[in-house]
Amino acid sequence: MTPRAGMGRNARQRDARTGSRLFLGLLWLLFGLPLPVLALWAAAPGWAWPDLWPAALGGRTAAFVLANRQSIVGALASSTLYSLAVVAVTLCACLAPARLLAFGRFRGRGALEGLLLAPALLPAMGCALGLYGTLVRLGLADTPAGVVLVLSVVSYPYMLRALASGFETMGQEYGRCAANLGAGPWTRLVVVELPLLLPAAVAGGSVVFLVAFSDYFLVQLVGGGVVPSFTGYLFPVLQSPDRGLAAMLSLVFLLVPVALFVLAEGLVLAVYRRRGM
Amino acid sequence: MHPPPAPSAACHAPRGGGSPAAMPPGTVPAQPPGGRSPAWRGAALCPLLVLLLPFLAGVGLTAAQSVGWLLPVQYGPEQALGGIVSPDAWTGWRQLAQPHMFGSLLLGLRVAGAAALLSVAGGALLAYGVWRLPARMQLAALVFRVPLILPHIVVGFLAIVFWSRSGLVSAALHHAGLIAGQAEFPALLWGGDGLGMVIAYTYKELPFVMLLAVASLRRLDPRLTETARMLGAGRWAVLRDVVIPHLAPVLHASFLILFLYAFGAVEIPLLLGESTPAMPGVAAYDLYFLRSLEDRPAAAALLTLLLLCCAGFVAAYVRLVAGLRGRERQL
Repeated sequence: MTPRAGMGRNARQRDARTGSRLFLGLLWLLFGLPLPVLALWAAAPGWAWPDLWPAALGGRTAAFVLANRQSIVGALASSTLYSLAVVAVTLCACLAPARLLAFGRFRGRGALEGLLLAPALLPAMGCALGLYGTLVRLGLADTPAGVVLVLSVVSYPYMLRALASGFETMGQEYGRCAANLGAGPWTRLVVVELPLLLPAAVAGGSVVFLVAFSDYFLVQLVGGGVVPSFTGYLFPVLQSPDRGLAAMLSLVFLLVPVALFVLAEGLVLAVYRRRGM
Repeated sequence: MHPPPAPSAACHAPRGGGSPAAMPPGTVPAQPPGGRSPAWRGAALCPLLVLLLPFLAGVGLTAAQSVGWLLPVQYGPEQALGGIVSPDAWTGWRQLAQPHMFGSLLLGLRVAGAAALLSVAGGALLAYGVWRLPARMQLAALVFRVPLILPHIVVGFLAIVFWSRSGLVSAALHHAGLIAGQAEFPALLWGGDGLGMVIAYTYKELPFVMLLAVASLRRLDPRLTETARMLGAGRWAVLRDVVIPHLAPVLHASFLILFLYAFGAVEIPLLLGESTPAMPGVAAYDLYFLRSLEDRPAAAALLTLLLLCCAGFVAAYVRLVAGLRGRERQL
């Protein structure tokens, strides 16, 4: 018997609560600390080594962002646009195959799924460098279309997996009932299945968006620096000794995904509330 | 990871084509919509071919370029006359048989393996902790998702801010009186063993494992752990005998995904890696872009080798998991 067995009920509960608080504190220290540290670095003109708090705070990096707002906003907008395009392309390409993987029962289904998920498992560079010469010849290198194509190629498995498990959760009954009531395939898809798939599509879309928006290497390779991207703007600064500016731009980077996720959550809630689901 | 949909009582399909004539008129034959016929299946896959074909083409072109075919810039005999040895098909592959190439692959295995192992072990423990938190603390625990939205390059930068010799951890240790100067702080980054990359990958990958593991734990019947506790199992015994076996499929699948990613990726190594040995992806990148054009078959050969290694790991994993499932069924 542990000594705790002899404790009163209240004492044990208090003990458990302290444990939970400690664990939560550990989580915040581990995962929450980087953001305030980035904010401090962004505000500090210099942060000499043994100091745990910068000696002075100022607005140098904020002034830089303001002065260069045109190129920064341009890079953010370009990254957002091509990432949204990647989400749209992967969503359109994956709907029918995801349904097939979720509901189809046929020989070789496992092998087919493995083949379809391969781009997420094999190194993206192995495909991208081989494809690069062809993209140049096709005139797709250094164009947004080429960037969208290559990013879609490496990120569609996440969408496929999310939609397939969405279809599995939904089951086939809704579609069948609609069909029995006389709905054609198109009505069935748009009116019945897509609203039910919305959470899965948002989940898959978030991952695909993050992969596309955070990617540095493929965008730099295929976009050739001609297609503006925020990671392309950020990377040289991260490599430079100017840690303050690097921290500031890292925080600016986070604005878009955070804003978009809040919007997406709001959209799902609004749609479901309007349809009374 | 995803259980097959539970069979429903209502309108269930006779597998393999029941006769529609047996049904009331107007009823849609309840066949799996995706699986009517091979032709139908092919049509469903069509939209994805737009993305799958470029992938397969890219992989095929890389393999072809490794033996000197279909290179974007071909070498004619006139280049060979200019002092360059006339390349034959296996020049690229022969270039791989060098100690630094071997070292680079080994570094990739070590870094990716260590990072994936640490993330899976740490992620499982932290997910268990999150799962046990009372309901009103769950919202605050969402903070663990922060690294998910940080791009790899920013995680690399954070590793520098925290763990370099002039970083915050070193400063904190100095204030705690544990080290007198920066030189006493161990060279975690750029120390030759890739530890900095392990730190960065682990930090980026922990929340990924936690996300999957917490979702899986929410499907675990709490009565199982309660029963185990009632039967006298300690907290660790519950974790070892109930929780970890339940999590195992999620954990080994995420180990594979994370390992393969870190093995081939270049973004964190571009910030935290060293030149020799370089991570395999960076080594291929350098051969392709930073050296002369005649090194491109070697770059393609290295990438082909990486692709083959990854495919081999996946195949080994699939066989291993099938073996595990078989043993479970026997039990």
